[in-house]
Amino acid sequence: MRSAFLAFLYSILMRGFLRIIVGVKYINKEVISKEDQFIIVSNHNSHLDTMALMSSLSFRQLSKTHPIAAGDYFGDSVTKSFITRLFTNAILIRRTKDGSSENPIDMMSRALSEGRSLILFPEGSRGEPEKMQEFKKGIGILLQKHPNIKYIPVYMRGMGKVLPKGEKLLVPFDTYVMFGEPSTTKAAEIEEIVKEVEGKIMELRATFIKPITNSEEE
Amino acid sequence: MHFLQSDKFEQNKEVIILISIILGILVFATVLFFIWGRIKPTNQLKELKMRTNSWWVMASIFVLATILHPVVSFVAFGLLSFAAMRELASISKNVRDDDRRVIIWCYIAIPVQYFFAYKGWFNIFIIFIPVIMHVWIPFMLVIRGITTEIGRSMGVLPTQMMLTIFSLSHLAYLLSLPEIPGFNAGGRGLLLYVVFLTEINDVFQFVWGKLLGRHKIIEKISPNKTWEGFIGGVLSTAALAYFLRFLTPLTEIEAVLIGFTIACSGFVGDVIVSAIKRDIGLKDTGTLIPGHGGILDRIDSLSLTAPIFFYIVYNLHYA
Repeated sequence: MRSAFLAFLYSILMRGFLRIIVGVKYINKEVISKEDQFIIVSNHNSHLDTMALMSSLSFRQLSKTHPIAAGDYFGDSVTKSFITRLFTNAILIRRTKDGSSENPIDMMSRALSEGRSLILFPEGSRGEPEKMQEFKKGIGILLQKHPNIKYIPVYMRGMGKVLPKGEKLLVPFDTYVMFGEPSTTKAAEIEEIVKEVEGKIMELRATFIKPITNSEEE
Repeated sequence: MHFLQSDKFEQNKEVIILISIILGILVFATVLFFIWGRIKPTNQLKELKMRTNSWWVMASIFVLATILHPVVSFVAFGLLSFAAMRELASISKNVRDDDRRVIIWCYIAIPVQYFFAYKGWFNIFIIFIPVIMHVWIPFMLVIRGITTEIGRSMGVLPTQMMLTIFSLSHLAYLLSLPEIPGFNAGGRGLLLYVVFLTEINDVFQFVWGKLLGRHKIIEKISPNKTWEGFIGGVLSTAALAYFLRFLTPLTEIEAVLIGFTIACSGFVGDVIVSAIKRDIGLKDTGTLIPGHGGILDRIDSLSLTAPIFFYIVYNLHYA
């Protein structure tokens, strides 16, 4: 029932809205359909990011893929948390350590052990429109613990123009979601893994020829 | 009832003829390139094949949108305007980052303009974008209060609206024109006539240029354009315009002159968009992403031929 609801929401409504109205173009999307379990690692500029990634999944993948969301943002009220869970399957984590709640890495690691897939934004927050921030090391710890799970690097551009942080008005612009090749990590150290993943996303980014905003750094 | 049905068939006969011609050309091109590929495959052929494939897609969409219910056609053309406007607005060099809240007004103008076209409200249809939006957009920019480079946005946004919304909406308005006694094909015939001639003119100019092209016209903007291609294209298009005039209420001499006009204005539209693309740096690198050409490449000549054709026909036969 719930998976049917999610499938309807993302495969039909959301995909149509993103493609026709917002102008999202998926590039190299085929790579994802073959994978059973994966961690999607992407840059993060907008609330639309999660929607765009969820919409690229197949029926089968949708119900067992969980975006990782900030509990202190999306979970700070009962309604917000309910809506987030209902619409996205999200796993809510605390970004700051307060000792009371479970370690976020353990929560993600358990989901992976259960055979589930994750969507991760290692930048932590959406940040300035169309700028990338340094990656947090959570992705490194996870891939070190689960070296057999493939990660899929994704670079998105334009989302920060459509719906930037702090803006409520959605303005359609041509937007690109570019998938890289799924692969397992070769590095052993946490820092090296983070660097490897970040490098893959930077590679995807370099394939775009022109900067999309005037302020985007070279 | 019997009468009505035969009437309907009569009405569609001209349109069916042209659709058959389009289908014939596409089948011919596909078979030709297939055989050519068997004999001597080259890189250039690969591009021709890709072009033919995208022509199949575009022709099917266009023909479907034209022969289905008029509302479908209006929505389809509205979406085309929207996608073209969005494509231009997404290019950073065109607009400032701060203009996003003003660009929403450009999008809102699209359903309004197409609603006027659907209703056939000619007087408001022709002034809405060139007059009303030309005042409204600069005013909204002023209200945002950021004056750095505001002049550029004031010029660029209304121009983009003219190119993508105003011009293309004339294609839709053709469907709202009143019926003329003795002229069967109606607005659909006119629509197919102008779009077909515009696109085939591009192909003619390309083919003649490849066959005979020696002398460049404007090398700095469009290095593939030659005088031979241009003149060959104009003559072929004018001849075709003469033979296809059964789709229109035009007389023989009018059809030939309109063929000339479509061919020349199509060329102008093509080089205008080429120049814009060169300015924003898309021309040197192909497209933004390899293999993902823009909508603008397809509608560049149409955005000039559509309004020019519309006003000539309107003033000759509908005013």
